[in-house]
Amino acid sequence: MTEIVISILILIGGGLSLLGAIGIIRFPDVYGRLHAATKSATLGVISIILGVFIFFYFIEGIFAGKLLLTILFVFLTAPVAGFMISKSAYNVGVKLWDKSLQDDLGEHIKQLDRKEKQKS
Amino acid sequence: MAFQILLNIGIAFLWILLRNDFTVIDFLVGYFIGFIMLFVLRGLLNFEFYGRRVYAFFKLIVLFIYKLILANIDVIKIVLSPKMDIRPGIIAVPTDLDTEWEITLLATMISLTPGTLSMNFSENGKTIYVHFIHIEDKDEAIKEIHDSFEKAILEVTK
Amino acid sequence: MLETVSTIVLILMSLSILVCFIRVLIGPTMSDRVVALDTIGINLIGFAGVIMIVQQTLAYAEVALVIAILAFIGSVALAKFIEGGVVLDRDRD
Repeated sequence: MTEIVISILILIGGGLSLLGAIGIIRFPDVYGRLHAATKSATLGVISIILGVFIFFYFIEGIFAGKLLLTILFVFLTAPVAGFMISKSAYNVGVKLWDKSLQDDLGEHIKQLDRKEKQKS
Repeated sequence: MAFQILLNIGIAFLWILLRNDFTVIDFLVGYFIGFIMLFVLRGLLNFEFYGRRVYAFFKLIVLFIYKLILANIDVIKIVLSPKMDIRPGIIAVPTDLDTEWEITLLATMISLTPGTLSMNFSENGKTIYVHFIHIEDKDEAIKEIHDSFEKAILEVTK
Repeated sequence: MLETVSTIVLILMSLSILVCFIRVLIGPTMSDRVVALDTIGINLIGFAGVIMIVQQTLAYAEVALVIAILAFIGSVALAKFIEGGVVLDRDRD
C-alpha cells in the first residue's frame, strides 16, 4: 500500500518535471517559459521529495527532517528566483511575444522617464 | 498574541512536570491542553483568542495548495495543446495591503498560482505588475486575485 | 515494484534535463539560458531524491539541500549580472 502511494507520488513528480521542460521548449517568450519553470518544475520536485520522505518514514522508520527542510526551501525560493529573472529580463529589454495584448509595466516606465525629463 | 503563546507554553511545561517525564509527545499534549484551556477561558481573561489566526493561517495554506494544483493543470493544458492559443500580457494589479511582509507574501503566492507571475512593484509598493499567460477579461482577473488571496491574507494579519 | 518505478522516473528526469539543455544551447537571449539553468538545478534535486530511494540511504539528503541553495543563489546572481553587471551591491533601493 505504502509502495503504491510512493510510486504514484514520484511518477507524478517525474511527469511534471518532463512537462515543465517541454513547456520551456514550447513557450514563445521568456515570460511564458518562466511560467512553466516556476510552477511545474517546483511542484514536481516537491512531490518527489514528499515521496522520498514517506519512503524513509514508513518503510525504513527514519524521520528525515532535512527532506522537509528541502521542501520548504524550494517552496520559498522558486517564486523569488522567477521574480528576479523576469525583472532583470524586462529591464534588459527582452521583448514580449508579438501576440501579447497589453503591457502596463512599459507604460509605467515611460511615465517615470517623462517625469524625470521634466525635472531636469 | 505573544503573551498568549507564552502562557500556552507555560501550561505545557506544567503538564510535563505533572507527568514526571520529559518527551516531545508530552509537550505536544500539554500544548494542546493549554490551547483548549485558553479557548474555554477566552471570555474570562478578556483577550482575543489567537486560535482564530491559526485557523485563518491553515485556511490560507489549504487555499494555496489547491490553487497550486489548479495552476499545474492549467500549465499542462497549455503545454500539451497543439496550437498555442494564448494571449499573454502584463497587468497592473492594485493592492490594499500595507506592510512589506504582506505584499511579499501576496507576490509569492501570485507567482505560484494559475497563469500569473509577479514581475515588478511600483515605487510606493501599492501596485504589483503581474504577467498573465492568458487574459480573457482584465477586470475579472484582477477581481479574482483580490477575492482569493488578498482576503485570506487580511484575515491572518488583521 | 519500487525499483521499476524509480528507473522510469530517473529516465523521465534525464529526459527533462536533456530538453532543458537544448534550451540552454539554442536560447535566443541570456534570460532564456538562465531560466533553463534554474530548471536544471531544480530537476537535480529530484534526481538526488530518487537516487536516495534506489540506494536506500539518507546520505544524499544534504546533497539535495545544498543543490537547492546553490541553484537559487546561482540564478539570482546570474539575473543580477545580466541586468547591470553588478552582483553584490550594498545600498538597498
